[in-house]
Amino acid sequence: MRSRAMPKPSWNLDYMMWVFTRLSGLSLILLIVIGISAGLLMGARSQMDLGTLMRWTFFPNSNHVLDSEIPDLYLWANGFWQIMQILVVFFAATHGFNGLRVVIEDYSLSGFWQIFLRFLILLLWIFSIMVGIYVILGS
Amino acid sequence: MQVTLKIFRYNPEDNRKKHFDTFTVEAEPTDRILDLLERIKGTEDGTLGFRRACAHGVCGSDAIRINGVNRLACKVLVQDLKSRKVTIEPILGLPIEKDLIVDMEPFFDHYRSVMPYFVNDDPPPSKERLQSPEERERFDDTTKCILCAACSTSCPSFWVNDKYVGPAAIVNAHRFIFDSRDQAAAERLEILNEQFGVFRCHTIFNCTDACPRDIQVTQAIGEVKKAIIDRNLE
Ligand code: FES
Repeated sequence: MRSRAMPKPSWNLDYMMWVFTRLSGLSLILLIVIGISAGLLMGARSQMDLGTLMRWTFFPNSNHVLDSEIPDLYLWANGFWQIMQILVVFFAATHGFNGLRVVIEDYSLSGFWQIFLRFLILLLWIFSIMVGIYVILGS
Repeated sequence: MQVTLKIFRYNPEDNRKKHFDTFTVEAEPTDRILDLLERIKGTEDGTLGFRRACAHGVCGSDAIRINGVNRLACKVLVQDLKSRKVTIEPILGLPIEKDLIVDMEPFFDHYRSVMPYFVNDDPPPSKERLQSPEERERFDDTTKCILCAACSTSCPSFWVNDKYVGPAAIVNAHRFIFDSRDQAAAERLEILNEQFGVFRCHTIFNCTDACPRDIQVTQAIGEVKKAIIDRNLE
């Protein structure tokens, strides 16, 4: 018999972002594996140099790898790869900006500075994701 | 052999700034650093301040920084050191009171905050509360803590942030969280699931290296993190 009242589990920002950091790290690895596999399917072994393959792997945008010798690059410019790019931007930016927030908050700032810097990081995060999506959809 | 010790000095009652004094003493390879400190205090400078009690690695009162790493002065032998020159400093992240003596109160405040005691509201049984060897084994490692503060004061998160509970408090919470006879695990997990709780640990592993009892501190912290997540997913 447990006679003691149990507190409810709480979902706070630090808890949620700690979990998100792990999941987004794994997701980025998965996205990169998909990117590099697709690059090899495209014929990267004979028609891309290493730098170009890496550009495609980390950001699978066909305009980005125009200098490769792959003849039918346009086949790889479709909605699926746009979603992949958006996912890369979302996970990488959120993972990175949250990391920055954690480093700042490790230093136990007082109320005003913590709120101000959190807000600044939030703005930078939204801005960079919007710029990323704009570039992806516009290219 | 001769050993040269460069020792951090600070006395709030005189006007000199914080500085180092150097002493050269005669030593055997099997002498402990604590023996050398006592030799200096006894024969060269009686004002040297440091804590010690048991001199056998049990009481946890003589954690200091030896050549930049946290160790118990009573557990490090002269022959364990790579050179005959030793730098001795107080542990970092707690206010210095005098020479090698730091104010341990902030450390114990964090320790107290995690309810480091047995909680069970059921009426006590007529004999002891039984536990299987496996259930006892679950938290065996964290029972070894002697509260010397070597782990917490080796942690960069603790250095920069006096609100962070620190590895020692988490280790002592772990000791009760995973005790099958205890009933307050959920409360402790909630205390540690806060902005300055367990998620300020960035798995740096300094604590594990510093622990004079060889407790797997970082692993214990990881287990507490996992317990918080398991509880939230239930
Ligand atoms: S004097 Fe007791 S632990 Fe070293």
